[in-house]
Amino acid sequence: MKDIKIITEYWGKINPLKIEDYINVGGYTALEKFVSKMNPEKAIEEIQKSGLCGRGGAGFPMGDKLGMVAKQTGEKYFICNLEESEPGTYKDRLVVDNNPHLLLEGIIISALSIGAQKAYIYINGNYEKQKEILEIVILQAKEKKYWGENILGSKFSLEIEIFSGAGAYICGEETALINSIEGNRGEPKIRPPFPTSAGLFGCPTAVSNAETISNIPWIISNGGKKYSIIGSKNSPGTKLFLLNGAVAKPGCYEAPTGITVKKLIDDYAGGIKRGKEFWFAQIGGACGKLLLEKELKAKMEFGKECECSLGSGSILVVDKSVNIHDLLISWTDFFRRESCGKCVPCREGTFRLWEIAKRFRDGEISDRDKEAIQDILWTLDNTTFCPLGKFAGTAFRDAVGKGIVKF
Amino acid sequence: MIKKTIQNIILEFEPEAKNILPALKKISAVFGYVSEEDVKIMAEYFGVSESKIFETASFYDEIKTEKQPEILIQICNSANCTVNNSFSIISEVENFLKIKAGSSASSKFKLEEISCLGRCADGPVMVVNGKIFERVTKSSLHGILGEYL
Repeated sequence: MKDIKIITEYWGKINPLKIEDYINVGGYTALEKFVSKMNPEKAIEEIQKSGLCGRGGAGFPMGDKLGMVAKQTGEKYFICNLEESEPGTYKDRLVVDNNPHLLLEGIIISALSIGAQKAYIYINGNYEKQKEILEIVILQAKEKKYWGENILGSKFSLEIEIFSGAGAYICGEETALINSIEGNRGEPKIRPPFPTSAGLFGCPTAVSNAETISNIPWIISNGGKKYSIIGSKNSPGTKLFLLNGAVAKPGCYEAPTGITVKKLIDDYAGGIKRGKEFWFAQIGGACGKLLLEKELKAKMEFGKECECSLGSGSILVVDKSVNIHDLLISWTDFFRRESCGKCVPCREGTFRLWEIAKRFRDGEISDRDKEAIQDILWTLDNTTFCPLGKFAGTAFRDAVGKGIVKF
Repeated sequence: MIKKTIQNIILEFEPEAKNILPALKKISAVFGYVSEEDVKIMAEYFGVSESKIFETASFYDEIKTEKQPEILIQICNSANCTVNNSFSIISEVENFLKIKAGSSASSKFKLEEISCLGRCADGPVMVVNGKIFERVTKSSLHGILGEYL
């Protein structure tokens, strides 16, 4: 069966910088439908019915998030999270490269559905080319009255602004992202209050990942029910998966949720690269779990009950020729560098883990280090302020627990 | 060409909180770093304390608060680039230029290990003075550095 494509359908088939190309394949009809035949409540109802959940990694139900902000009054904001700093993850960049108008249409509908007067696109500071693409398509859409004052002659109005990040992984976390726009250090804030009640400049704010938003036009056009039967029951829809490392055909593939890692590697990425021997796969970026060969039947979905959360959707296939010392240092150094320093368990924990990884490489690991590892991992998992710290030890823990490294 | 001054850079921005980070980025990009003097002027313009401006400036990788060496070499050591041998590229640079990653001992060169730039299919990724190079190998490395030395 040919997989249904929602996000990648027109990749490579239309010129991403031509709004006419997008319109010719049915682009902006969802926005027209929203403006003329629907109302915000109905749109949110459809999104809730679709079961669409956040594609940035946390998997929070999109419809519920929009609904929470929609019921608040006063000034409100919608933010498209395009910070995308998770190692191994560049799906949102590809969305902008290949079909930026799809994302923009999703942003406009989402922002209008919650009654926001302004939408921000928070883009990774390194994505300079993608920022230029967005600037171009935003102008094109304004000329066609898809945003601005009185959208398509309706009572809806919306402002859109791009905000460029300045290089900080933690700014993918929504409260840190908000701090960053407010001119502060990109440190996470205590929750509650959640951004849905007090977000940007204290106003109710919905922050959603770019891939999540790109599903909205399809849902509005085709209905939430139709979306909800695609893929996994608990987290329906399709997902962009990035397969890299020792696979024959590395790249980005759209597949229904609930697909197994094995099927993604074999059927989509062409199996393991010739001459390489599979060792383990890392799921969802630097903060992701490691799966051994016998665990590859794990289904890729979100939710508390799932075997292995798919995270950002990146899958790194590691073969036996890779130096595990280098990888341990890579993981620990990443979190050491990106820890914002606000809470001690994360700031110190990530630093000590990195030191131990270096001593392990140099053959200088002591018994005291070995004992400390478990304590540090427990502390990171249980006591850090935000999810960055909680997941900073995931790969390290799996590497030890699954016998990938032996001290 | 008119010489860019800190004054005419900040005047491009309205004195609102949301423009603090964009202004800092611009100053750092134009002058190479944000100096103490720049921080003073920024604080006055935005109507906040100097410590507040410095606090924000010092947090982000793209904003530098110290004078940068002549040649800044950055190599990604996140997982995907690591699997593609970025550590061997790092040691090659260390041996060739006789420097250590992370050390500021040389005023001419600095080698930094950096986080993912989202170009994971084309690693290892190296950045020299802001210019990005992909699929760097030990042999291509010398050609790239040769242009800067």
